[in-house]
Amino acid sequence: MNPFREDLVSRSTPEPCTVVIFGATGDLTHRKLIPALYNLAVDGELPTGVKIIGFARREKSDAEFRAGLVDVNRKVSRSGHDEQIWSSFIESVSYHQSEFSDADGYRRLAEKLAAIDAVRGGAGNRLFYIASAPEFFDEILINLKNAGLNRAANGCWARVIVEKPFGTDLATARHLNEVVNATFEERDTYRIDHYLGKETAQNLMVLRFANAIFEPLWNSKHISHVQITCSENLGMEGGRGGYYDTAGALRDMVQNHLLQLLSLVAMEPPTDLSADGVRDEKVKVIRSLRQWDTPEKVAANVIRAQYTAGHVDGVPVPGYREEDRVNPESKTEAYVAVRLLIDTWRWSGVPFYIRMGKRLPKKSTEISIHFKEAPCVLFNASCGGTPGGNVLVIRIQPDEGISLRMVSKIPGNSLRLEPVKMDFHYATSFGKASPEAYERLLLDAIAGDATLFARRDEVEEAWRFIDQIEHAWHQSSNPPPMAEFVAGTWGPKEADDLLMQDGNQWRRL
Amino acid sequence: MSAPSHPTLSEARAELGIEVPVHAIDRELHKLRTQDESRTHASLINLVVYSEKPGALLENSAIVRHLTREHACRAILVEVDPDQPVPGIHAWITAHCHLDHGRRSVCCEQIALHLTGKVTGRFRNTVFAHLDSDLPLVFWWQGELSGIFSERLVSVIDRLIIDSSSWADPAESFRKIDEASRSKSDLILQDHAWSRTWQFRLGVASIFDDPTAQRSIAEIDRVEITYHPDHRNSALQLLAWLAVQTGWSDAKRDGGKPAKNFSFVSPAGITIEAQLREDAAAPPISLLVLRAGDRSAVISQAAGSAHVERRIKAPGYEVNSLSPIDPVSAGDLVAMQLSRGGKNSLFSKILPRFRAMLG
Repeated sequence: MNPFREDLVSRSTPEPCTVVIFGATGDLTHRKLIPALYNLAVDGELPTGVKIIGFARREKSDAEFRAGLVDVNRKVSRSGHDEQIWSSFIESVSYHQSEFSDADGYRRLAEKLAAIDAVRGGAGNRLFYIASAPEFFDEILINLKNAGLNRAANGCWARVIVEKPFGTDLATARHLNEVVNATFEERDTYRIDHYLGKETAQNLMVLRFANAIFEPLWNSKHISHVQITCSENLGMEGGRGGYYDTAGALRDMVQNHLLQLLSLVAMEPPTDLSADGVRDEKVKVIRSLRQWDTPEKVAANVIRAQYTAGHVDGVPVPGYREEDRVNPESKTEAYVAVRLLIDTWRWSGVPFYIRMGKRLPKKSTEISIHFKEAPCVLFNASCGGTPGGNVLVIRIQPDEGISLRMVSKIPGNSLRLEPVKMDFHYATSFGKASPEAYERLLLDAIAGDATLFARRDEVEEAWRFIDQIEHAWHQSSNPPPMAEFVAGTWGPKEADDLLMQDGNQWRRL
Repeated sequence: MSAPSHPTLSEARAELGIEVPVHAIDRELHKLRTQDESRTHASLINLVVYSEKPGALLENSAIVRHLTREHACRAILVEVDPDQPVPGIHAWITAHCHLDHGRRSVCCEQIALHLTGKVTGRFRNTVFAHLDSDLPLVFWWQGELSGIFSERLVSVIDRLIIDSSSWADPAESFRKIDEASRSKSDLILQDHAWSRTWQFRLGVASIFDDPTAQRSIAEIDRVEITYHPDHRNSALQLLAWLAVQTGWSDAKRDGGKPAKNFSFVSPAGITIEAQLREDAAAPPISLLVLRAGDRSAVISQAAGSAHVERRIKAPGYEVNSLSPIDPVSAGDLVAMQLSRGGKNSLFSKILPRFRAMLG
């Protein structure tokens, strides 16, 4: 216990360690990981003595690797680029060339780590960040184990961060989890979902459990339904069609990000704020999802769609099947809307609607809690004549914030009611920019706080639910149809009908 | 009502906004708010900035303009001139507006009050009448505590910001705060002198996060602190913090006035010699060295440098890193304190030890 830490920061303490990044020449390392570590250094949050080793296949010297990082950092760093801090920071960064499959490369890595530890005066902590393409996960983990790098010396730790996707279905996720857990303990495994590092996602628990007014209303008695929307105006630019066409909206976004958000909205209050305390409650939500386990149930509750050519932001865009690197005969969904039911006492009968799509009118991620309408008396005497119930909106990105819609009288001699909005914007209330999600998550991993990372059972339960839908779409004899919508609109009519059946409609963003 | 006689006031008029009758402040603020519908009015705190220094309104208005970029607040600036024979009060209103994402103006309202003569009751009532309801009151008292600083005033303050470095007799001023806050046990006290040690404390904490280094804490036998002569309180607070957090008990101090050498005894019975040195050319705190035999942790800030250096030295091993320096200006120190928020309970914890060191 470090007595000097008291009251300095209200979080777990990050300890000095060596961070090894696999896939160090990739975009993620350049655009997210190194700038995140640099910004932690700028804020004085990176522990003294942290070393960073980039592990990748290309031939590069330390100097070449560092030179490639600086230009990107200048462009993307949240706090700008301070030459003096960068010079000090970059001295701690080195490059290690090896094939992921080359056992000798790991042996040399072990020697390098031991040399760093020796200079520090003993054993050291290690954080392995697997930022490579998913097909290399297995061999990296197995080679780490074979080189003995998965086991920390006494009093130290060895942790691994695994980037998504955590498998492509339940079987591959289980396989990956088995390989990970055969190498690292579950408590040392950090499955990163950068959505959970976003300020508003973290604020969800605060909103629910630090404000006495919401929790009494947070149930089927008062809430009519919940919508979670993740819309993107981009399509398959930059060659992403190649990956996306093998994944689809359901696997790419719903299985991880959106189900994580759902579980934060729907979870019971945890017994404490420990990582497992929170994750125990989150996984119960996923486990309680009513299963759409037949093609008929999938057809009734899940809509998939592809966009046809249209206009986004006034610019003509191609249809999904005409996009770069997308199969012209593709059966992959670029839009999905799901009705979910959570079979718990709290949420019985409350539909949760999730939608995610590409080439929608704008980029936005938000959760909206739709409260039941007031009784049909007094101002609501003619039901449906008034402007609807209260809606609490939690905006995840962009323009992070919270708003509450309520009904108000329009000034004047007659009684006319209109909805008004109480709005809270992070940017205007707190002028200070929030740290990037990767900064928070890297610091948490260094500090050993897994609260914002997905646990094995969460991932597998999510895949169990998603697999049944994928199965109905791709392996059943009577697959539900693929709907279409014009790019630049808010999705297919079938998705509107999905809510209409329940007397609801999508929130206009 | 007589016109204020201070020479800077006429210059201040334009900077402080529209002069309004005190009884019409709310009405005029409302007008200001509705002039441009695209503006958003934002406030998370009430911030009162109090000063008895001539010309303070103008200076503080500039500080608040800067502060509101990050901290949306209802700002009430007060300048009091108690030596004027004729009681008077003048008020100005304005709004500090900043672009949010280059799109929309976000505005924080400012009320500036200039009071002359015997003002105690009028000051309190005028300020209380213009607080934004339900928002916490952060009261930044600049300079020496005067007779206006009273238990009645403190009773409505949530966070009191002071700078003990500006006090001629810090021991007496802290006693006054003690007395005035007897019935306000939840008052959060923030001292700029303490905030100026932030990066040094963070540096020490960061160095001893390493479990190997942590074992050396019990073996520390020497402390050296170099400080600017105007910032002795920061040096003493840093020393008090080290002593409290490590459980060192006081042994003795030299007889000099003020004392430069202190010694402590650790829970393990090790004597720790602490030496304070002045350097008039250096930042408020320029050097902190903790030695344990042949190992040392050094936190330093060179004059004019934009960084604090953290260095660990042990036989065959040396590592260093940089962190940003603490804010220099009073406005930036307040901004940092508002960003950190919290109860500042660590300061409350070390305060008795620090006061004992003041002698």
